[in-house]
Amino acid sequence: MICFINRKILDHISMISLFLLFMFTPHLIYSAEGGPCKDYGDCDEFKYSLNDIDSLQRGASTYINYCYGCHSLQYSRWGRVAQDLEIPEDIFFENLVFDKSIKAGDLMTGAMPEESATWFGVEPPDLTLVARYKGDDWIYSYLRAYYEDSSKQYGVNNLVYPGTAMPNVLLSLQGNQRLVCKDIPEIAKNGGEKRDDNGKTIMIEKCGFLEVQDGTGSLSKEEFDKLIYDLTNFLVYVGEPIKATRERIGWYVVFYLLIFTALSALLYREFKKDYKK
Amino acid sequence: MIEMAGKLFSWLNNRLPIVNTFERHLSKHPVPSKVNFWYLFGALAAVTLIIQIVTGIWLIMPYSNTEEQAFSSIEYIMRDVDYGWVIRYMHTTGASLFFAVVYLHMFRGLLYGSYQKPKELVWIFGCTIYLAMMAEGFLGYVLPYGQMSYWGAQVIISLFGAIPYVGESLELWVRGDYYISGITVSRFFALHVVALPLILIALVFLHLVALHEVGAGNPEGVDIEEHLDEDGVPLDSVPFFPYKVLNGLVAIGVFLTVFAIIMFFFPEGGGYFIEMANFQEANPLVTPDHIAPVWYYAPFYTMLRAIPDPLGGLIVMAAAVAIFFIVPWLDRSKVASIRYKGIYSKIAITLFGVSFLTLGYLGTVGVTEIRKIMSIICTIIYFAYFLLMPIYTKYEKTKEVPTRL
Repeated sequence: MICFINRKILDHISMISLFLLFMFTPHLIYSAEGGPCKDYGDCDEFKYSLNDIDSLQRGASTYINYCYGCHSLQYSRWGRVAQDLEIPEDIFFENLVFDKSIKAGDLMTGAMPEESATWFGVEPPDLTLVARYKGDDWIYSYLRAYYEDSSKQYGVNNLVYPGTAMPNVLLSLQGNQRLVCKDIPEIAKNGGEKRDDNGKTIMIEKCGFLEVQDGTGSLSKEEFDKLIYDLTNFLVYVGEPIKATRERIGWYVVFYLLIFTALSALLYREFKKDYKK
Repeated sequence: MIEMAGKLFSWLNNRLPIVNTFERHLSKHPVPSKVNFWYLFGALAAVTLIIQIVTGIWLIMPYSNTEEQAFSSIEYIMRDVDYGWVIRYMHTTGASLFFAVVYLHMFRGLLYGSYQKPKELVWIFGCTIYLAMMAEGFLGYVLPYGQMSYWGAQVIISLFGAIPYVGESLELWVRGDYYISGITVSRFFALHVVALPLILIALVFLHLVALHEVGAGNPEGVDIEEHLDEDGVPLDSVPFFPYKVLNGLVAIGVFLTVFAIIMFFFPEGGGYFIEMANFQEANPLVTPDHIAPVWYYAPFYTMLRAIPDPLGGLIVMAAAVAIFFIVPWLDRSKVASIRYKGIYSKIAITLFGVSFLTLGYLGTVGVTEIRKIMSIICTIIYFAYFLLMPIYTKYEKTKEVPTRL
């Protein structure tokens, strides 16, 4: 009857299903439950580049100047950051470490006084591992998704994290971002633009677009995006300082194991001749 | 020099059965000459167990089993301990791959009837190993004391509370406190690093001793003992050493390559091997949006969730694992291998495989109406595979098994 279920197929069904399961489940999870970036829609994709030392240096500098005042990096050590980011220790300590009693081996436990814990309603979280529990896509989107909202305590809200307690610290750089409405072409079900009888594209008004008011920030959109890129890149680094090394060593290990496997396969083939005619 | 070494060896051998054991279990131990890749996962499970034990010992050294330091000591291992990250990722990757190879090893058993007479005890020891592994994995997952450690433990320990009469006191006894705390972490630590590894090693030893007593199986389900040469060695066998050892070595090479690719390039396994929420320290005041077990418990977690009553869910979940123990007596087939079983067995095992994978998937995602119905259907199929086995294996038409491999 069902003769196509022969043993070979059966042997491989579970392997293939297992593979498919691993390949597709993350997409299924998000499509069913809405992404982590909430009102922003899909998070912007972030591709880290941990070998771009310049980017990491700029990110570290932005972090220490704008974020470290509230957010500690309690599992990371000052000296390690200087070393990994190839910043000579004297220059690093002169320019980025404001508390002169700090030594290279000290943890970056933050600059906030104890009683400050409730200044913003919630204690600003430690961010050493934020890239690991929130993801780099999330950070990159979140920091660029602030908009003016006078109903909030600090006059801003965030599309990625609605109701966020953090004010937009980078406002002076980015400028005043607002939610605006725009006329955009209406998209038909088949994916093309809808046109009226005269062949003109039908426009509809859609709201929820982020737009920066001209001349309110000291950086252009591209410059600001780059600043956030570097900052996120730094947070990816600090979340797992060994990551770049890990991936580099990985190639050698895999290469060695492939040679090991090939040699053992040849050896086995040789021995198999004893009983296989 | 060589003479002296020889003398030393014979001195040792007269007092310890070195040559005997080597011959009996390796160089003269007959194993079927023709098996397929499904027969390699046992060796891979053994390799993984060794990896877990060795990396585990090294992790104990810098790990701190206190409420205050458990989480930060993991970050200390990842950042400040030389090559601590290698050891730690090996252990986390090893945990997931241990379950992966053991699931494949168990599925091999179901495919080729590796539980049939006289291998019932081998199978039962195996099932007990799986049970011990589940406990070991759960206890270990609590130790980093991240959000998922805490809330996962909360869910699992509260299961004990569903047991009538003794539930609540049992829950308290397991936790050692009125809520999960440093006391829980330190007792789980003791169980994870001493008690269960001892049990696991003892069980693996028994699993192997019993296996060597009755002999390994093959995908044809042929009894190789029936055709012996003049020395009493099965004709369709080869000595375990060096032939199968070398075969295993190739498999180990492939396995370790996969292992290394995961560990060096995808150590979080896409959030399945190390869940993202576990990079946040345990916080009793904040429940994560979505409590999901690690993937290897997911099928059973789905069953638990599918049953609305907590006690009912617990019973179903426990039964889902326990039912493996009686498989040798559920299968009434005259043949061992799926190759010679009838069409009903083939359909049954395919449905079982699909339902198990579906249950696994459902356990890692949130609940919706349709998923709830799917989990109930899959749970029914899962149990039907076992409970109907005495019927479909007995009344189906089987094929003739050849006498030789």
